[in-house]
Amino acid sequence: MQRRESAPKILILATEDCAYPGANSVGQAHLSYGENTYILRTREPAMFPERFYLDCFDKGIAGIIIMSCGVECPYEGAYDALAKRVDGVYRQMKERGLDIRRLRLTAICTVCNRAFLNEVKNMNQVVTELGLPGEEIREAVIA
Amino acid sequence: MTTQEYPQFDTLVLGAGIAGLQTALDLAEQGFQVAIVERDPSIGGKMIRLSKVFPTLDCASCITTPKMAAAAHHPNITLFTYCELNGVERTGSGLKASVTQKPRYVDPDKCTGCRSCEYACPTFVPDHEQGGFTSRKAIYVPFSNAVPQKAVMDPENCWICGKDGGQCVQVCATDAINYFDKPEDFTLEARSMVLATGYELIPDYSEKAFGPASQHPNLITSLQMERLLAPHGPYMRALRPSDGKEPDSIAFIQCAGSRDLNLGVSYCSRVCCMYSIKQAMLLSGALPLADITIYYMDIRAFGKNYEQFFQNAKAMGVEFVKAKPMVIGGTEDGAVRLRYEDQEGGGGGMTREHDLVVQALAMVPAWNPEGVVDVSTATDGFIKSVKPKIAPTLTDMDGVFTAGVAAGPKDIVDTIVEAGAAAMEVSNYLNQEALVAAE
Amino acid sequence: MTAKGKDKTAEGEAKVAVYICHCGGNISDQVDVEKLEAMAKEFPGVTVARRDMFMCSDPGQNKIIEDLKSGAADRVVIASCSPSLHETTFRNAVMRAGVNPYMYEHANIREQCSWVHHGEAATRKAAGLVAAAVGKARHLKPLESIRMDAVDHVTVVGGGISGLKSARDLAMRGLKVTLIEKTPFLGGNVAQLDRLFPTNEPAAELLQEVVDEVRARPEIEVLTCAELTESEGYVGNFTLKVTRTPPTGEEECERLRTVEAAGAGEGRFVPFVGILPEAVPATEETREISTGAVVLATGFRHYSPPKGLYGYGEHPEVITLPDLIRLMAEKEDTGGMLEVNGRPIKSMAMIRCVGSRQIPGIHEPDENGNLNEHCSRACCTATLQADREIKEKYPETVIYDFYRDIRAYGRGHEEFYVGASQDGVLFLRFEPDGPPVVGPASDPDYALSVMAKDTLLSGQELDVPVDLVVLSVGMVPSDVSGLIDKMKLPVGADRFLLEVHPKLRPVELANTGVLLAGTCQAPMDSTEASEGATAAAVKAAALLAKGHVELDPYVATVNTELCEGTGACVAECPHPGCVTLVDAPEGKGKKAEINPALCTGCGMCVAVCPNVAIEVNGWTLRQYEAMVDAIVALPATKELVEA
Repeated sequence: MQRRESAPKILILATEDCAYPGANSVGQAHLSYGENTYILRTREPAMFPERFYLDCFDKGIAGIIIMSCGVECPYEGAYDALAKRVDGVYRQMKERGLDIRRLRLTAICTVCNRAFLNEVKNMNQVVTELGLPGEEIREAVIA
Repeated sequence: MTTQEYPQFDTLVLGAGIAGLQTALDLAEQGFQVAIVERDPSIGGKMIRLSKVFPTLDCASCITTPKMAAAAHHPNITLFTYCELNGVERTGSGLKASVTQKPRYVDPDKCTGCRSCEYACPTFVPDHEQGGFTSRKAIYVPFSNAVPQKAVMDPENCWICGKDGGQCVQVCATDAINYFDKPEDFTLEARSMVLATGYELIPDYSEKAFGPASQHPNLITSLQMERLLAPHGPYMRALRPSDGKEPDSIAFIQCAGSRDLNLGVSYCSRVCCMYSIKQAMLLSGALPLADITIYYMDIRAFGKNYEQFFQNAKAMGVEFVKAKPMVIGGTEDGAVRLRYEDQEGGGGGMTREHDLVVQALAMVPAWNPEGVVDVSTATDGFIKSVKPKIAPTLTDMDGVFTAGVAAGPKDIVDTIVEAGAAAMEVSNYLNQEALVAAE
Repeated sequence: MTAKGKDKTAEGEAKVAVYICHCGGNISDQVDVEKLEAMAKEFPGVTVARRDMFMCSDPGQNKIIEDLKSGAADRVVIASCSPSLHETTFRNAVMRAGVNPYMYEHANIREQCSWVHHGEAATRKAAGLVAAAVGKARHLKPLESIRMDAVDHVTVVGGGISGLKSARDLAMRGLKVTLIEKTPFLGGNVAQLDRLFPTNEPAAELLQEVVDEVRARPEIEVLTCAELTESEGYVGNFTLKVTRTPPTGEEECERLRTVEAAGAGEGRFVPFVGILPEAVPATEETREISTGAVVLATGFRHYSPPKGLYGYGEHPEVITLPDLIRLMAEKEDTGGMLEVNGRPIKSMAMIRCVGSRQIPGIHEPDENGNLNEHCSRACCTATLQADREIKEKYPETVIYDFYRDIRAYGRGHEEFYVGASQDGVLFLRFEPDGPPVVGPASDPDYALSVMAKDTLLSGQELDVPVDLVVLSVGMVPSDVSGLIDKMKLPVGADRFLLEVHPKLRPVELANTGVLLAGTCQAPMDSTEASEGATAAAVKAAALLAKGHVELDPYVATVNTELCEGTGACVAECPHPGCVTLVDAPEGKGKKAEINPALCTGCGMCVAVCPNVAIEVNGWTLRQYEAMVDAIVALPATKELVEA
């Protein structure tokens, strides 16, 4: 129980057109998932610079799922830009010795309940296995 | 609910499917006041019930929900859901519509859409919204993205389960449930009207065409297939209804009732070729090992990027057989048996079995104006257009327009275009009328 | 224009009121709302925290209004159901309190908390969501929707049926219109037709009716022999340059002579030419037009078969469907047989899908490498219409109709197919890899032979003798490469202009204020082209009828103090002209500047700015950082709830 309560935090960036209503749909179906997930509504995650993700990890966020609209993205060129940006973040994560599984780019639609739950479950497995990013943070928690 | 007096609307739109919503939005955006009268407890029409749409494979819910929200929140649009139109008469230059609010047995002003009543209700009823494959309760929110998110009770199936009223009444935090709700009549006045009443699938084709074999549980309609393919469908995956098995072989029967004056209707229903190809593509994604066959007369992939979509399906291995099969019964392991004339392979009768067979049923009008609105229908049963070439949304009643499938089968994109066209014709009608009045 | 005034309520001074909704137990059964209220009071910046059974009710909303009016708070966080349900309700409540409606942030503690988490975990999660919302709320700024004056004028490019219909509809709506047509004539491709399916009404009557209306409308200015040569600006305020040139083309001059010979004068329809609305210009002139929106109705041209395709260009007896239509229309009806070049047509072949439905690997691309993979939509019923007309006028003529699929999809179209079959037209199906072959006649009584395999007669080899072969040619877009360059228009793989969304927004382009009417977007028949034109008109009317364009405030803004003019945003922005570098005052180098009319608020520029000098109003990076900070600051343990 104690372990579950200190589960590392997962940030979910959810697009207001697709993934955010998708998360609502999971709620309407009263399905359950880990409460260590924090869903932030975004217009288009292509707005986040690479350093935003790295800062989140530095601050102690253990995993980030970008739930985009995928190819249904209403903003011209934004999905490609986002995919490119995520690649850039992966490069920097590798340089810093961060496991790139901590960041995941996916597409979730307004009624994709199963896909949503799967993504959350998979990321929870990853962060449970890896713990918090960075030794110093982990030590701080243990202390 | 108290009977309310409404000011005169510029337009009354009948039907809140994609045609009605788009017409209403295109009018409201110009500043016109629009009332939408919808028969169902939620807006969204057929489109919100689909899985994905061709040829883009966009999730139907994802692209319909924003339109529904836009209409529901638009300051110039008033929704009247779960209402029946009884009649329309002309009063001077305007129209007077008599409408009945059907009883929801739930006060929409109090209901928060929390569904506690639905969870508490002990009565299970086949869920029409899920193709009849799963159950709903006797009190329920129609579907997950319904607008408004308000419960409705189905009095036919409610048996008032508790001693002091039902369990729903006991759990409702807002005392929204009212067993004594009654139909309420009211009047709406408008300067113009748009009929966007859509379609239903032809009801009696299977019976006529296949007799007793039409009762096979694995012989389903195209709209049922939409539910099986929807991510929030009855099984959340494509399974065979009779036994929940993953089908290894799926067939589509095209022109089931269309282009067939003897058993159905004489016209082409225009969308079935494309939605069957789409369903085949989605199935081959979900069940990569399944054999998928489309029995067709002509493949009518005529819209933008449709032909390319059809060619992709062929390249993906969907089998196209030019034939019109008969359903002749079932097999012991639950398959549906078809017989057809092999037109391309040398003729002769062929018999084949498929685990699941989908009938692309003809579209027929969902509503007949007779006795309600004084507009004519054409021989196909859809609303008659008086200027079919240059302004197909004009009916033979002044100030009354039509859009979408109400004026003949069409796909979503053609419906959206026609809805825009109807809105323009209405705007110009209202403007001209105002000019005449000013003179 | 956007965020008004300065950020006078810096983070430190922000006074946040938090309201927690019980939702009649929907939230409070899982979330300990009293504890949540107590915790919220401790969050930095929070001056008020309250609860209500139903925040959406009048008493709930009144709490918000009271606190804002009394000055106890200057912004609010509402923790309740999904914002999709009541965001508008709460924005209105904030506005009724006399506060800017954007000084409100939402925490979704029902759909994304109490319905998916239980007990203590739900309370913990709710605290996190509220803390994040408060974090963002402290950085909120008042926003105003953007209003820009719009010119109540629309420019329609193309004088075919779509352009005419759009112009007429817009004028009736009270907008001023300039209609630009490249040739001296109005009518476009419909003028090349005789009768229109499915009603069989004469093209002449339909065109005459619409052109008469267009010419009678004082709001419409028609410029023939005109081309758009320059375009700049944005929705509501485009500046176009239009150049009129005296016609010099051989075909145009020929047509002008035809009109003169017919003595038709201005405004009268001449078959297979169109309508000359006014005298052609004598000298070249360029004029500037201020316009609010542009409707493109540039139409299509018929596919022109290469020499040798089905014998085209080699045998004079091989013609196209448009040729046949004209031939029949111009023939004096004397009964007997249809005659072409003096040869009576005892038997003829129709061949469909010529230049349409081409398949890579089977069909040869044209000299530019293009393949027409699209279906041209209108040719099937047009061919059936021709079949029927021939059978009606010359019942003796035998017609072999070679097809791949008969696409008589539209209202009243199937009747042509049924009718043609009943008339005795012989339909023969072919596969794309086994098309009919047109060659010299094996029977001397005939001009040509068509050899084919009928796939429906178990591949039987046929050799049909014919006197005429008619190719049912498809549609390809008109050459508008100049326009595409000048207006930076998106084009699809099929070379037609590309709409924003093929399902939901078929008449709009990504360039806001530029609309698509008719066959420049995709092949369609004249009914569909008219409807598309009317639908394009309604979009223009909605944009301009109010005299101003109103855009939501979520657009990018530049903090000129931080901007170093690197131009990274300019390179990243997908909308040309939306972000530009301009000279900063006092010679302080370059600074980015946003044209909000062109900004969609996608934020791609935000990601590439090295100095966080560019932000999307209402969705700023700083706000997200504040949310993340609030989330990580919250202990992830039990103590939180017990504290």
